[in-house]
Amino acid sequence: MTIEKAYMLISIFLFLSGLLGVIIRKNLITLLVSTELMLNGVNLGFVAMDRMVGGVEGQVFSLFVLAVAASEVAVGLGLVVSIFRLKGYEGSSEITHLRD
Amino acid sequence: MEWVIFGILSLWLILSVLGVLFLKNPVHVVLSFLSVVLATAGIFLHLGAELLAGLQLIIYAVAIVVFYVLVVTTIPWEKVKRFEGIYLREFLLAVPFFLLLVVALSYLAWSGSFATKGFPLSGDNVRDVGKVLFTSYLFPFELASVILLIAMVGAILLGRKED
Repeated sequence: MTIEKAYMLISIFLFLSGLLGVIIRKNLITLLVSTELMLNGVNLGFVAMDRMVGGVEGQVFSLFVLAVAASEVAVGLGLVVSIFRLKGYEGSSEITHLRD
Repeated sequence: MEWVIFGILSLWLILSVLGVLFLKNPVHVVLSFLSVVLATAGIFLHLGAELLAGLQLIIYAVAIVVFYVLVVTTIPWEKVKRFEGIYLREFLLAVPFFLLLVVALSYLAWSGSFATKGFPLSGDNVRDVGKVLFTSYLFPFELASVILLIAMVGAILLGRKED
Protein backbone atom coordinates (compact mmCIF):
# COMPACT_ATOMS: atom_id res chain seq x y z
CA MET A 1 0.00 0.00 0.00
CA THR A 2 1.78 3.07 -1.21
CA ILE A 3 0.60 6.62 -0.77
CA GLU A 4 -0.40 6.88 -4.42
CA LYS A 5 -2.79 3.96 -4.08
CA ALA A 6 -4.33 5.58 -1.02
CA TYR A 7 -4.84 8.77 -2.99
CA MET A 8 -6.42 6.72 -5.78
CA LEU A 9 -8.99 5.47 -3.25
CA ILE A 10 -9.70 9.07 -2.19
CA SER A 11 -10.10 10.06 -5.83
CA ILE A 12 -12.60 7.23 -6.42
CA PHE A 13 -14.58 8.37 -3.40
CA LEU A 14 -14.54 11.99 -4.60
CA PHE A 15 -15.76 11.10 -8.10
CA LEU A 16 -18.55 8.84 -6.87
CA SER A 17 -19.64 11.45 -4.31
CA GLY A 18 -20.03 13.92 -7.17
CA LEU A 19 -22.16 11.36 -9.02
CA LEU A 20 -24.31 10.81 -5.92
CA GLY A 21 -24.68 14.57 -5.52
CA VAL A 22 -25.86 14.93 -9.13
CA ILE A 23 -28.50 12.29 -8.43
CA ILE A 24 -29.80 13.49 -5.08
CA ARG A 25 -29.50 17.28 -4.90
CA LYS A 26 -32.62 19.35 -5.52
CA ASN A 27 -31.18 22.71 -6.38
CA LEU A 28 -29.65 23.39 -9.79
CA ILE A 29 -26.66 25.30 -8.45
CA THR A 30 -25.73 22.58 -5.97
CA LEU A 31 -26.08 20.09 -8.82
CA LEU A 32 -23.46 22.05 -10.77
CA VAL A 33 -21.20 22.07 -7.70
CA SER A 34 -21.48 18.27 -7.63
CA THR A 35 -20.24 18.05 -11.23
CA GLU A 36 -17.25 20.12 -10.12
CA LEU A 37 -16.63 17.49 -7.45
CA MET A 38 -16.50 14.84 -10.16
CA LEU A 39 -13.97 16.86 -12.17
CA ASN A 40 -11.84 17.33 -9.04
CA GLY A 41 -11.85 13.60 -8.42
CA VAL A 42 -10.61 12.91 -11.93
CA ASN A 43 -7.86 15.50 -11.49
CA LEU A 44 -6.76 13.87 -8.26
CA GLY A 45 -6.60 10.46 -9.92
CA PHE A 46 -4.55 11.86 -12.79
CA VAL A 47 -2.00 13.42 -10.46
CA ALA A 48 -1.75 10.32 -8.25
CA MET A 49 -1.18 8.05 -11.24
CA ASP A 50 1.32 10.55 -12.55
CA ARG A 51 3.46 10.28 -9.48
CA MET A 52 3.18 6.48 -9.59
CA VAL A 53 4.15 6.11 -13.23
CA GLY A 54 6.64 8.95 -13.31
CA GLY A 55 5.69 11.51 -15.92
CA VAL A 56 3.86 14.77 -16.30
CA GLU A 57 1.25 13.88 -18.93
CA GLY A 58 -1.45 13.44 -16.29
CA GLN A 59 -0.86 16.95 -15.01
CA VAL A 60 -1.16 18.29 -18.56
CA PHE A 61 -4.51 16.53 -18.91
CA SER A 62 -5.55 17.97 -15.56
CA LEU A 63 -4.82 21.41 -16.98
CA PHE A 64 -7.20 20.70 -19.83
CA VAL A 65 -9.78 19.46 -17.34
CA LEU A 66 -9.42 22.79 -15.51
CA ALA A 67 -10.06 24.70 -18.74
CA VAL A 68 -13.13 22.58 -19.48
CA ALA A 69 -14.36 23.10 -15.91
CA ALA A 70 -14.09 26.87 -16.25
CA SER A 71 -16.03 26.93 -19.53
CA GLU A 72 -18.59 24.45 -18.16
CA VAL A 73 -19.29 26.60 -15.14
CA ALA A 74 -19.69 29.72 -17.30
CA VAL A 75 -22.21 28.09 -19.64
CA GLY A 76 -23.96 26.10 -16.91
CA LEU A 77 -24.50 29.05 -14.61
CA GLY A 78 -25.68 31.14 -17.55
CA LEU A 79 -28.24 28.43 -18.28
CA VAL A 80 -29.34 28.32 -14.63
CA VAL A 81 -29.80 32.08 -14.49
CA SER A 82 -31.74 32.24 -17.75
CA ILE A 83 -33.94 29.27 -16.78
CA PHE A 84 -34.75 31.01 -13.52
CA ARG A 85 -35.44 34.33 -15.22
CA LEU A 86 -37.63 32.93 -18.00
CA LYS A 87 -39.50 30.22 -16.12
CA GLY A 88 -38.93 30.76 -12.42
CA TYR A 89 -37.64 27.21 -12.04
CA GLU A 90 -34.95 26.46 -9.54
CA GLY A 91 -35.33 22.73 -8.88
CA SER A 92 -34.17 19.91 -11.10
CA SER A 93 -37.56 18.15 -10.88
CA GLU A 94 -39.42 21.14 -12.36
CA ILE A 95 -37.67 21.06 -15.72
CA THR A 96 -39.71 18.47 -17.57
CA HIS A 97 -40.26 20.18 -20.93
CA LEU A 98 -37.72 20.58 -23.67
CA ARG A 99 -39.69 23.43 -25.19
CA ASP A 100 -42.56 25.55 -23.96
CA MET B 1 5.20 11.60 8.33
CA GLU B 2 3.80 11.15 4.84
CA TRP B 3 0.88 9.19 6.22
CA VAL B 4 0.14 11.86 8.81
CA ILE B 5 -0.18 14.47 6.04
CA PHE B 6 -2.30 12.03 4.04
CA GLY B 7 -4.60 11.46 7.02
CA ILE B 8 -5.10 15.14 7.75
CA LEU B 9 -5.73 16.11 4.12
CA SER B 10 -8.03 13.20 3.32
CA LEU B 11 -10.07 13.68 6.50
CA TRP B 12 -10.47 17.37 5.65
CA LEU B 13 -11.47 16.46 2.10
CA ILE B 14 -14.02 13.83 3.13
CA LEU B 15 -15.66 16.13 5.69
CA SER B 16 -15.94 18.91 3.10
CA VAL B 17 -17.39 16.48 0.54
CA LEU B 18 -20.05 15.42 3.04
CA GLY B 19 -20.80 19.11 3.57
CA VAL B 20 -21.24 19.61 -0.19
CA LEU B 21 -23.59 16.63 -0.38
CA PHE B 22 -25.82 17.23 2.62
CA LEU B 23 -25.92 20.92 3.62
CA LYS B 24 -29.17 22.74 2.90
CA ASN B 25 -28.22 26.30 2.12
CA PRO B 26 -26.56 26.83 -1.30
CA VAL B 27 -24.14 29.39 0.13
CA HIS B 28 -22.93 26.80 2.66
CA VAL B 29 -22.58 24.30 -0.18
CA VAL B 30 -20.40 26.72 -2.15
CA LEU B 31 -18.25 27.37 0.93
CA SER B 32 -17.82 23.61 1.47
CA PHE B 33 -16.81 23.34 -2.16
CA LEU B 34 -14.19 26.02 -1.53
CA SER B 35 -12.91 23.86 1.32
CA VAL B 36 -12.78 20.85 -1.04
CA VAL B 37 -10.74 22.91 -3.50
CA LEU B 38 -8.27 23.97 -0.81
CA ALA B 39 -7.85 20.38 0.40
CA THR B 40 -7.30 19.20 -3.17
CA ALA B 41 -4.64 21.88 -3.67
CA GLY B 42 -2.91 20.61 -0.54
CA ILE B 43 -3.02 17.06 -1.89
CA PHE B 44 -1.51 18.25 -5.18
CA LEU B 45 1.32 19.90 -3.24
CA HIS B 46 1.83 16.68 -1.33
CA LEU B 47 1.99 14.68 -4.54
CA GLY B 48 4.59 17.06 -6.00
CA ALA B 49 2.45 18.85 -8.57
CA GLU B 50 3.20 22.44 -7.60
CA LEU B 51 2.04 24.05 -10.84
CA LEU B 52 -1.30 22.31 -10.68
CA ALA B 53 -1.78 23.26 -7.02
CA GLY B 54 -1.25 26.92 -7.88
CA LEU B 55 -3.57 26.74 -10.85
CA GLN B 56 -6.17 24.99 -8.71
CA LEU B 57 -6.02 27.87 -6.26
CA ILE B 58 -6.16 30.53 -8.98
CA ILE B 59 -8.81 29.01 -11.24
CA TYR B 60 -11.06 27.10 -8.84
CA ALA B 61 -10.76 28.94 -5.54
CA VAL B 62 -10.78 32.40 -7.08
CA ALA B 63 -12.57 32.34 -10.42
CA ILE B 64 -15.12 29.53 -10.22
CA VAL B 65 -16.17 29.93 -6.58
CA VAL B 66 -16.58 33.69 -7.02
CA PHE B 67 -18.72 33.00 -10.07
CA TYR B 68 -20.94 30.68 -8.04
CA VAL B 69 -21.29 33.26 -5.27
CA LEU B 70 -22.22 35.94 -7.83
CA VAL B 71 -24.96 33.74 -9.28
CA VAL B 72 -26.24 32.85 -5.80
CA THR B 73 -26.56 36.54 -5.01
CA THR B 74 -28.55 37.27 -8.19
CA ILE B 75 -31.30 34.73 -7.39
CA PRO B 76 -33.89 35.70 -4.76
CA TRP B 77 -33.73 32.74 -2.39
CA GLU B 78 -36.85 33.45 -0.38
CA LYS B 79 -38.93 32.40 -3.39
CA VAL B 80 -37.23 29.06 -3.90
CA LYS B 81 -37.17 27.67 -0.38
CA ARG B 82 -38.94 24.55 -1.69
CA PHE B 83 -35.85 23.39 -3.46
CA GLU B 84 -33.30 22.98 -0.72
CA GLY B 85 -31.64 19.82 0.47
CA ILE B 86 -31.87 16.41 -1.15
CA TYR B 87 -34.49 14.10 -2.62
CA LEU B 88 -34.94 11.52 0.13
CA ARG B 89 -36.30 8.65 -1.98
CA GLU B 90 -33.60 9.02 -4.62
CA PHE B 91 -31.01 9.18 -1.86
CA LEU B 92 -32.18 5.90 -0.35
CA LEU B 93 -32.23 4.27 -3.78
CA ALA B 94 -28.81 5.58 -4.82
CA VAL B 95 -26.82 4.87 -1.65
CA PRO B 96 -26.54 1.05 -2.17
CA PHE B 97 -25.23 1.57 -5.69
CA PHE B 98 -22.84 4.23 -4.41
CA LEU B 99 -21.44 1.91 -1.75
CA LEU B 100 -21.21 -0.98 -4.21
CA LEU B 101 -19.31 1.15 -6.73
CA VAL B 102 -16.97 2.49 -4.05
CA VAL B 103 -16.17 -1.02 -2.82
CA ALA B 104 -15.75 -2.49 -6.30
CA LEU B 105 -13.53 0.29 -7.70
CA SER B 106 -11.51 0.47 -4.48
CA TYR B 107 -10.95 -3.28 -4.68
CA LEU B 108 -9.69 -2.86 -8.23
CA ALA B 109 -7.33 -0.05 -7.26
CA TRP B 110 -6.24 -1.88 -4.11
CA SER B 111 -5.42 -5.27 -5.59
CA GLY B 112 -4.36 -4.32 -9.11
CA SER B 113 -0.76 -3.83 -10.12
CA PHE B 114 0.16 -0.53 -11.69
CA ALA B 115 2.92 0.47 -14.06
CA THR B 116 6.28 1.14 -12.48
CA LYS B 117 8.46 4.19 -12.64
CA GLY B 118 9.11 5.53 -16.11
CA PHE B 119 11.75 8.07 -17.02
CA PRO B 120 13.37 10.21 -14.35
CA LEU B 121 12.15 13.78 -14.06
CA SER B 122 14.29 16.83 -13.56
CA GLY B 123 12.76 17.60 -10.18
CA ASP B 124 11.40 20.97 -11.29
CA ASN B 125 7.70 20.35 -11.74
CA VAL B 126 6.86 23.63 -13.48
CA ARG B 127 9.67 23.16 -15.99
CA ASP B 128 8.62 19.57 -16.77
CA VAL B 129 4.94 20.38 -17.22
CA GLY B 130 5.70 23.44 -19.34
CA LYS B 131 8.07 21.51 -21.57
CA VAL B 132 5.55 18.75 -22.22
CA LEU B 133 2.66 21.20 -22.57
CA PHE B 134 4.34 23.39 -25.17
CA THR B 135 5.92 20.62 -27.25
CA SER B 136 3.84 17.44 -27.31
CA TYR B 137 0.48 18.97 -26.40
CA LEU B 138 0.66 22.33 -28.15
CA PHE B 139 -2.35 21.73 -30.39
CA PRO B 140 -4.69 20.65 -27.55
CA PHE B 141 -3.50 23.70 -25.63
CA GLU B 142 -4.59 25.97 -28.47
CA LEU B 143 -7.88 24.07 -28.70
CA ALA B 144 -8.46 24.74 -24.99
CA SER B 145 -8.15 28.47 -25.66
CA VAL B 146 -10.74 28.20 -28.45
CA ILE B 147 -13.06 26.29 -26.08
CA LEU B 148 -12.73 29.05 -23.49
CA LEU B 149 -13.49 31.71 -26.12
CA ILE B 150 -16.60 29.87 -27.30
CA ALA B 151 -17.77 29.39 -23.70
CA MET B 152 -17.33 33.12 -23.09
CA VAL B 153 -19.43 33.98 -26.16
CA GLY B 154 -22.08 31.45 -25.10
CA ALA B 155 -22.24 32.78 -21.56
CA ILE B 156 -22.66 36.36 -22.83
CA LEU B 157 -25.44 35.24 -25.19
CA LEU B 158 -27.22 33.30 -22.44
CA GLY B 159 -26.91 36.04 -19.86
CA ARG B 160 -28.15 39.06 -21.82
CA LYS B 161 -31.59 40.54 -21.34
CA GLU B 162 -34.22 39.76 -23.95
CA ASP B 163 -35.48 42.97 -25.51
